[in-house]
Amino acid sequence: MNDADIRAILPFLVLSAALTVIVLGIAVRRDRGQAAILAAIGLAATLASLWPAQAVAPRQVTPLFAIDGYALLLMGLILAESLAVVLLSQAYLARQEGPADEFYALLLLSTLGALALVSASHFASFFLGLETLTIPLLGLIAYPRERPLPIEAGVKYLILAAMSSAVLLFGMALVYARLGTMEFARMGAALAAFGQGPQILWLSGVALIFSGVAFKLSLVPFHLWVADVYEGSPAPVTAFIAVVSKTAVLGLLLRYFLAAGIFRDPTVELTVGVIAIASMLGGNLLALLQTNVKRLLAYSSVGHLGYLLVAFLAGGTAAIEAVGYYLVAYGTTTLGAFGVVTVLSTGAGREVVALNDYRSLAWRRPWLAAVFILMLLSLAGMPLTMGFFAKIYAAAAGVGRDAWPLVGALVAGSVIGLFYYLRVVVAVCLPAAGEQTPEPAGAAGLAMATLAGLTGILVWLGVYPAPAVDLIRGTARVFGMQ
Amino acid sequence: MLLPLVPALPLLGFLILFISGGRMPKRAVEAVGVGSVGIAAILALIVAAGFLQGPQTPLVVAWPWLTLAGFTPQFGVRLDSLSLVMMLVVTFVGFLIHLYSAEYMEADEGYNRFFASMNLFVAAMLVLVLADNLLFLYVGWEGVGLCSYLLIGFWYPNPANGLAARKAFIVTRVGDALMTVGLLLIYTRLGSLDIQTAMGRAAQQWPQGSVAAVAAAALLLGGAVGKSAQLPLQTWLPDAMAGPTPVSALIHAATMVTAGVYLIARTHVLYDLAPPVKEAVAVIGTATLLLASFSALNQRDLKRILAYSTISQIGYMFLALGVGAWAAAIFHLMTHAFFKALLFLSAGVVIHRMDEEQDIFRLGGLRRQMPLAFWTFLIGSASLAALPLVTAGFYSKDLIVAAAWQDSPWLGAAALLGAFLTAVYIFRAVFIVFGGPPRHEPHGPTGRRVAVPLLLLSVLAVTGGFVQPPSALGGAPLFTDFLGKTLPSAPATAEAADGVTLASGLIALAGIGVAYLIAGRHWFAGALQIPPARLLERWWAAGWGFDFVYDRLLVRPFLRLLWWNRRDFIDGVYTALAGLIRLAWRLLSISENGRLRWYAAGIAAGSIVALALSVFA
Repeated sequence: MNDADIRAILPFLVLSAALTVIVLGIAVRRDRGQAAILAAIGLAATLASLWPAQAVAPRQVTPLFAIDGYALLLMGLILAESLAVVLLSQAYLARQEGPADEFYALLLLSTLGALALVSASHFASFFLGLETLTIPLLGLIAYPRERPLPIEAGVKYLILAAMSSAVLLFGMALVYARLGTMEFARMGAALAAFGQGPQILWLSGVALIFSGVAFKLSLVPFHLWVADVYEGSPAPVTAFIAVVSKTAVLGLLLRYFLAAGIFRDPTVELTVGVIAIASMLGGNLLALLQTNVKRLLAYSSVGHLGYLLVAFLAGGTAAIEAVGYYLVAYGTTTLGAFGVVTVLSTGAGREVVALNDYRSLAWRRPWLAAVFILMLLSLAGMPLTMGFFAKIYAAAAGVGRDAWPLVGALVAGSVIGLFYYLRVVVAVCLPAAGEQTPEPAGAAGLAMATLAGLTGILVWLGVYPAPAVDLIRGTARVFGMQ
Repeated sequence: MLLPLVPALPLLGFLILFISGGRMPKRAVEAVGVGSVGIAAILALIVAAGFLQGPQTPLVVAWPWLTLAGFTPQFGVRLDSLSLVMMLVVTFVGFLIHLYSAEYMEADEGYNRFFASMNLFVAAMLVLVLADNLLFLYVGWEGVGLCSYLLIGFWYPNPANGLAARKAFIVTRVGDALMTVGLLLIYTRLGSLDIQTAMGRAAQQWPQGSVAAVAAAALLLGGAVGKSAQLPLQTWLPDAMAGPTPVSALIHAATMVTAGVYLIARTHVLYDLAPPVKEAVAVIGTATLLLASFSALNQRDLKRILAYSTISQIGYMFLALGVGAWAAAIFHLMTHAFFKALLFLSAGVVIHRMDEEQDIFRLGGLRRQMPLAFWTFLIGSASLAALPLVTAGFYSKDLIVAAAWQDSPWLGAAALLGAFLTAVYIFRAVFIVFGGPPRHEPHGPTGRRVAVPLLLLSVLAVTGGFVQPPSALGGAPLFTDFLGKTLPSAPATAEAADGVTLASGLIALAGIGVAYLIAGRHWFAGALQIPPARLLERWWAAGWGFDFVYDRLLVRPFLRLLWWNRRDFIDGVYTALAGLIRLAWRLLSISENGRLRWYAAGIAAGSIVALALSVFA
């Protein structure tokens, strides 16, 4: 391992160092504020270390990690999202009982797993990254351990994640048995070498790998856990699961499919397409009359992952562009929406999730309501927000391939989506009904500033998407290294 | 690189005012609202100076907006001689009207809302005239339409104002729909919405008089007719006077309503390729200018007189466009912006100080009581009536009449008749409002923020024409030459023009004389009281009954149709669909029962489905 290799994996090293410092710090002195500051500094430093890494990219570091523009872009996105979660959760955790230091250690560890995932180019790093991402999540979900709901969510996630990992591992074993390699880049060649022989082993392997990943992405029919876990987790953790975990896993899936040449296979396309349609329709339908905002956003994310698969299926650089922009839009918007839930829950000292709690928000907290409405409109794909262009890209990807069933489901899903997003907007704008004790506005200045930043990005890139698109397009070119 | 800042500043002003939501003190609102447009005007002047000193090649600043499947629209601004003139008119007249409004609207509760909408309007109008791309132009086009709607209905507690705002919006919408189709046609046939590219390709690909060129030009004309209140979509403008007077001055006289003229001039290549449409432009302009003049002749409401006058003057501009005198149209657009803004603003002073009285027959003898309003209104009227030699309106209108005369004696004669009527209707108002014995005592002082814009606009209404004196006076065609870099110049009109200049000068004077007879208590005014004349008068005063006809022909049948379909049988399909979706939700929700073993079964089932699809497909 030479000097350039070290520089390429600098983000991993910096984040691991920050993690160690936090854990050591906890050993010396239990202080929530100290851990939060260390976590924020650590994430910011890791973000900064992307530049030295970028100087040596693209670079293959051992067969396990490919540090290229694509990986660095997604790392940047994941780190920024984690940083936003840290900032959002600071005041929230202050209201919780018990020590909160380990929360940040777990968060950083999970982020490390996400970084590993998006640069993984080998089944070993794939699986390691996924488990590093998942296992700390269990701790995060069940963090308020005195309450029954988080514990229930944690246990459900634990058992189901273990089950899906087993499915995933079995799929990997099948692919390895057939191709004799675990490196993504070699799989295409190995597959071609077999020529026209029976493909059942390989196809079954890919189907099982996709099933394992689909659990993490909460695609229909692997989505049943998502509402319970979103509801049970503390609001910042829900944001983290919804955004960081999904960005990393989808980023990995796209790399695996592109590098291993899976996109050319019509059978796989059919499987992914069917699941995409099921997710777009199922997710949006489940959210229709939902009165719990967290559950509603959970089902909405199922639908959004379905839209993302439409963009995903475009294949090639078009997929990177469409998926990349969609991930940025989805991340910004979802963080913003759960950020509002977090801020409200901070003030109330409980999880504020019932639609009734949001009634007349526009009159009580106009700024917060404005942010929430913008986020919901972006989720609905309204023009002048990022969600609009994201959906346009997804639709264009579908139209470009003449995949009309996918486009049809996308349109139908969007129409259904509009209904339930607007239901929430209407509730927010309604005047107060009778007596409603306004919950105290917690000291959430940092969280409010984060929300302001997210809103700024949402509108700026929603009106003028060219900078983001150019950046992503630049990465797509770099991807050619393999 | 100052150019993009010119539209950006009023937009910034709007954002500040909008976000502050009326929590700022009036002084601060005024500073932001007036200041943003003022600085934009200064920047526009600097940009213009740089442009005039340089080689006068078009200046383009553009950013790519998005790239999607070969569709690459840009946010771009383009400065050439045409957009330069428009930009200066919009920023300067806009600034003066903002300054005037700072005092005029001072007592109004919606001070902040007013300036926010006005700033947004100026920004949108600048986008419209500076855009180098038809899509971006359309953004400005719809933006000014929105602001027009908001400001006509500014005093929304009165339902009549809301009605007027809706009428304006819906009627212009008819034109906008045509224009949208036109833009789509241009994009699909020429593959670009960039104005220069599209026009270049049109000239190459479309033969003279081809169907595509005629269709594109006619559809854009539809948009222009709606926005500029020309026949047959002129009915909204008189009602739009429901807005505050500065709004009428800025939006419904000086700038927005001339957007149609600008659009046609900007896409003049299409009209040269489509001679029938170009002819239609001339005919529409001529018909509108005559009809609106007759209507203006019989109004009692001071602002409605000015509204019909605006329709008629834009008719002149359309006439000029139709006969290919592109530069003359823009010239008249500019001078009209000066003198019509002036007329509205001084009318505003009169109305404001006379307890919002707009009926000219209840006003009178104001020349001694309000000397400032009297003199400025007189100057504006003289310019509108094209009083020879000393007014800007004379120089620009003369150019149009000459060009029309050369194209066809019919058009020329109509233009002369219109000039006569113009002088009659505006001086009728002058004599009635300012002449005769005083009736009421005006109240309230006139402050500096009102006086300065009036005086500056008076100067412009007189001197604005000297940029191009007619050939009979040994002048040089400075303005048309300058615009000639962007718009093809009209054929030389030197010889024909001399006679026309003389005729139009005499006609204006004759018109003023007739106005004196009508307004006074002479036998002439008595002779007009015979029954047939009264009938005609009422018909004209009602705007030739267009509102009546549209009401019977379109609005009522439409309402009747709605009444028949009040249960909305088509909606039944969607109601059923919504019920179906609710049912689907209910069924799917059964799957979310919270049981872990059921969830695990879901994952297993999903894996089996994925396997089955892979193995058997």
